[in-house]
Amino acid sequence: MEPLTWTGSFGSIIDPVFQLVGLLFIVAVAAQFIGAYVFAPINDEVHVDGTITRDRGANAIIGTAVRSLLLALCALAAIYIVAGVFAPIGKVGIIGAVAKQFAPVWIALVATFLLSISYKRRLGLYGKLFDSTVGMIGYALLMFWVYTALFVGVFDMIAVNDPLTQLSGMKNKLPGTPLRSVEEGQYAYYLLGGDNLARDVFSRMVHGSVVVILIAPLATLFAFMVGITLGLPAGYLGGKLDTFLSFLANLVLAFPVILLFYLLVTPEIVATGIPNYMAMILFVFPIIFFAVLLNSRFYTRPHLRNPLLAGVMLVMIWTYLCAISAEGTVINILPPTLDLFDIDSGILVVFVSVVFVNSPTVFRIVRGLVLDIHTRDYVAAAQTRGEGKWYIMLWEMLPNARGPLIVDFCLRIGYTTILLGTLGFFGLGLESESPNWGNTINDGRKLLAIYPHPALVPALSLLSLVLGLNLLADGLREESLRD
Amino acid sequence: MSKMADYEGPILEIDRLSISFFTRLREIPAVMDFSVRVMPGEAVGLVGESGCGKSTVALGVMQDLGKNGKVVGGSIKFKGRDLSEMSEEELRDVRGNEIAMIYQEPMASLNPAMKIGKQLMEVPMIHEGVSKEEAYSRALEVVTDVRLPDPERMLNSYPHQLSGGQQQRIVIAMALMSKPALLILDEPTTALDVTVEAAVVELVKDLGKKYGTSMLFISHNLGLVLETCDRLCVMYSGEAVERGSIEDVFDDMQHPYTQALFRSIPLPGADKNARPLVAIPGNFPLPHERPPGCNFGPRCDYFEEGRCDAQDIPMVNVHGFERHSTRCLKSEEIDWNAPITVGEQKEKAPIGEVVLKMDNLKKYYEVAANALFGGGETKVVKANETLSFEAHESETLAIVGESGCGKSTFAKVLMGLETATEGKILLDGGEIQDTAIQARDTKTVADVQMVFQNPFDTLNPSMTVGRQIMRALEIFGIGENEAGRRKRMLELLDLVKLPRAFADRMPRQLSGGQKQRVGIARAFAGGARIVVADEPVSALDVSVQAAVTDLLMEIQREEKTTLLFISHDLSIVRYLSDRVMVMYLGHVVEMGTTDQVFSPPYHPYTEALLSAVPIADTSVEKEHIVLEGDIPSAMNPPPGCPFQTRCRWKSEVPGGLCEKEVPPVRMLEGEHQVKCHLADDILARMTPVIKIAAE
Ligand SMILES: Nc1ncnc2c1ncn2[C@@H]1O[C@H](COP(=O)(O)OP(=O)(O)O)[C@@H](O)[C@H]1O
Ligand code: SF4
Ligand code: SF4
Ligand SMILES: [Mg+2]
Repeated sequence: MEPLTWTGSFGSIIDPVFQLVGLLFIVAVAAQFIGAYVFAPINDEVHVDGTITRDRGANAIIGTAVRSLLLALCALAAIYIVAGVFAPIGKVGIIGAVAKQFAPVWIALVATFLLSISYKRRLGLYGKLFDSTVGMIGYALLMFWVYTALFVGVFDMIAVNDPLTQLSGMKNKLPGTPLRSVEEGQYAYYLLGGDNLARDVFSRMVHGSVVVILIAPLATLFAFMVGITLGLPAGYLGGKLDTFLSFLANLVLAFPVILLFYLLVTPEIVATGIPNYMAMILFVFPIIFFAVLLNSRFYTRPHLRNPLLAGVMLVMIWTYLCAISAEGTVINILPPTLDLFDIDSGILVVFVSVVFVNSPTVFRIVRGLVLDIHTRDYVAAAQTRGEGKWYIMLWEMLPNARGPLIVDFCLRIGYTTILLGTLGFFGLGLESESPNWGNTINDGRKLLAIYPHPALVPALSLLSLVLGLNLLADGLREESLRD
Repeated sequence: MSKMADYEGPILEIDRLSISFFTRLREIPAVMDFSVRVMPGEAVGLVGESGCGKSTVALGVMQDLGKNGKVVGGSIKFKGRDLSEMSEEELRDVRGNEIAMIYQEPMASLNPAMKIGKQLMEVPMIHEGVSKEEAYSRALEVVTDVRLPDPERMLNSYPHQLSGGQQQRIVIAMALMSKPALLILDEPTTALDVTVEAAVVELVKDLGKKYGTSMLFISHNLGLVLETCDRLCVMYSGEAVERGSIEDVFDDMQHPYTQALFRSIPLPGADKNARPLVAIPGNFPLPHERPPGCNFGPRCDYFEEGRCDAQDIPMVNVHGFERHSTRCLKSEEIDWNAPITVGEQKEKAPIGEVVLKMDNLKKYYEVAANALFGGGETKVVKANETLSFEAHESETLAIVGESGCGKSTFAKVLMGLETATEGKILLDGGEIQDTAIQARDTKTVADVQMVFQNPFDTLNPSMTVGRQIMRALEIFGIGENEAGRRKRMLELLDLVKLPRAFADRMPRQLSGGQKQRVGIARAFAGGARIVVADEPVSALDVSVQAAVTDLLMEIQREEKTTLLFISHDLSIVRYLSDRVMVMYLGHVVEMGTTDQVFSPPYHPYTEALLSAVPIADTSVEKEHIVLEGDIPSAMNPPPGCPFQTRCRWKSEVPGGLCEKEVPPVRMLEGEHQVKCHLADDILARMTPVIKIAAE
């Protein structure tokens, strides 16, 4: 079989158009940049009858040109995708074939946006996101990967080959290379080429997204739990506790993190059980958090509180025990029949590291927000009704600090994603076979100069996801500040 | 750069100005068809509730409407030239040189990182290119002009080293540096204490005369406008509704809104039974929800269907007056002199047993003298000094004083958020001064509750109104179950006259007055017997203040509550309280029944406070007592009498006693007590501060 070209026969018509438009766009952007200094600024004039005219100076014309060219570029990109989805494999080349594999993601994305935009006025801050272009782009990028992870992880769609299988003759092959011998039901190409162990780069990339999308938010969530549970009392109660915790936070922030990671995976240290003990402490925080949360709210209604708290605590403590106890480690308290799952020691390291790196900063943000909200009258009102400290912190203050925290959460998932990559790159954390992006980049690095694609593909994926999260955070911040 | 040539006509002429803000959802018409003229040397007041467009007009004159604001109609002419036709440079020049603006928050106009002197000198150095020496001497001159003590030291200090009143004076000095032709003041004294406000207003008036500056004075306080301005323009919901000279508008008002506004503010001169407060019903319409026809229609007593709501109402001249116009169709038909129809007057519940007794209460705070390194030396701040009083059932005790006098500390100790240093608080005979709130039993906590000052802060923004009231019920152990509490919560909403549908609303969907009502409902959730109301209406608009005040008094009548009403507004205190306690720097300087406190003999501080209250009544004559200087810091109180640094009677006390000894509490007639060294015969010589001129 012929190897696939990037855009196939379809591309021979539309590629030149795309290149031309792209070139014009670059020229226009340059002109806009220069024009801002050379020509008069855009000027709006309002008339007595209430209409506004914007004068058509040179800058206004350039601005329009840039916008329409950008739109044209987007439209062309969409044409590639649509054509790829509907044309047979090979007609639109690699791009078309990849687009076709992502078909369920496109459908889900379009549906999400259509629904969200039509109900945006009723959706609070989430709805407002759709008023900000930056926010929408960020959200689209994020949801692209979320849906990819969903369809790969749950429905086993999108990926074309097994991420771990090595096929003979596919080592370091370029994108679009057909398989040597296609078996029944097997996909005939390595769409984005093969890596140095002859595995399918495309399939590894989409499988990698599952790992990232699953672990990054969860680990960040833990970091937030720790940061919030400590930051609230530090800010609200102040005094010695605050001094101590703030000192601790600074200490951790000053600690060379990479060193910590290396320590955590050193066999001698693992043998002493330190990572397990750390995890033991770490995973307690969500339990404390929810116990205090529910108790402070419902203690006045014992009939509701007792069963609710008992139920939630039972589930959480069991999960906790399952999580920390694993056979063959120092903590092995649960009999195997009750131990539902074990956490892979690599993931444990990831969790510990993420919490370690992020929670001091979250702690500081929460503490600062609490100091600000502390002066509000509704806090004083709660105090004068004799509310408990934790009720005030968790139910009166925390919900009103949510705006900045949500924004920070988005940014921090981005950092965590990068941290995951970094850990993987150093061979820490997840096992080396794992298709996660950090490991893959590390594997591809060795032959980067000759065969860049095995490293480039996961690197670009990582970039787009983190970019998406950052843009989303920007959009959210912008929108939550408006009105 | 030179000023514009001398110009004979009006300094500022705004003609049919319309300004809109463009948001994502809609266009918000903030100002519509607004005209006003300011002649040379004239001071024009712009009065209206918050959100009616006063500031927008000011920003329009400054051509500083931000990204989404646009002048969509009409013109603004300064010295005969249309501002919209000026170029950027010309505008910048006019703004720095000919029009100056003073904002409510002084720090908004000051650079915190630059010495005062440098900031002042920059103005003429940039705009007129004068030399450094000349700029310095000019700066010294204006700082002296705004009556700041020790001008040279002032020039050498940073803004944060000055008090709020001093900062505002510096801002005024800065505005005067360029000798502007027009000075725009947007609520310049709202952030200041009454006595400081009085001094600043006095200053602005004198400077206006001295420099011949025209002024546009924006305020929501009719009394202040009466004291400062020659002419007045009343705004309602984006429109000017009445315009004329102060005398015409105050004494011969021609618009129902102006009339309603006057009827809703208490006047210290008037008898509260003959002239009760009449609240304006309903709420201010949001800019995009304005009714057809007359904007004031839905709240107007004289509203006529099919007429007032059928057409746009034009501004018309009032017959028989010069330059007096109104935006009301029926101004000629309404009998403006008809007496107020007083609603049914409810008897006040008789004053009952003593509920709360404070006995020599003291609250001292220890603060580190050196903020950076805790430890080491500490200083004692005496926030409350020997407070003693009794409060009875169904009684309103007003606590009056300016910021920093210890009102809030007192409230905190009473609520149990702090414990007393010395002395006793007896609630129904039981001592509670040492029991912090966590240690108090539910009944005690529910009995003593508080209504807060800031309506925008008093409710948790992330919880529905109903939930918040139900939470209070839950904490106070009221109601068997959720359903029972929900029922009780709805009853509480009825009590504060809010529609039951509000239970499911979020606080941001409510207006300031409505939020304050929810705050009141929450305070009464546990059947509170003592309610501390900390300036409950001062942050509300004039037209809703009366309604909220009435509500408080009505609930008090029904529940026999003891109301501790903290306020600095003596007009409202006189209107609703039975007894008054005046505080200064932690000391109770005077206490007695309302009549005793409001008539001579006064404590010298009370006298000054009374004189500082702006009164919106042309027939009232006030004695002018301007207090020099600011309130001393509680960290550093003066020796002897706390008021001695500002007292004008000090010289009447022989032997410099005022500076040496804290005066003892003296009992005058009845239960009237005064903390002052003045001899009886001098006290007897005092004359009333507020006099009603004979008609
Ligand atoms: N930047 C803005 N964007 C949108 N609406 C605004 C803006 N500034 C003011 N408004 C609206 O214009 C109206 C008039 O406001 P303002 O002039 O500040 O009133 P005032 O000074 O009398 O309190 C209000 O309804 C306000 O919400
Ligand atoms: S026009 Fe009608 S509704 Fe408006 S103020 Fe006059 S009487 Fe009232
Ligand atoms: S004691 Fe002296 S200083 Fe104090 S108020 Fe009386 S007269 Fe003034
Ligand atoms: Mg304003």
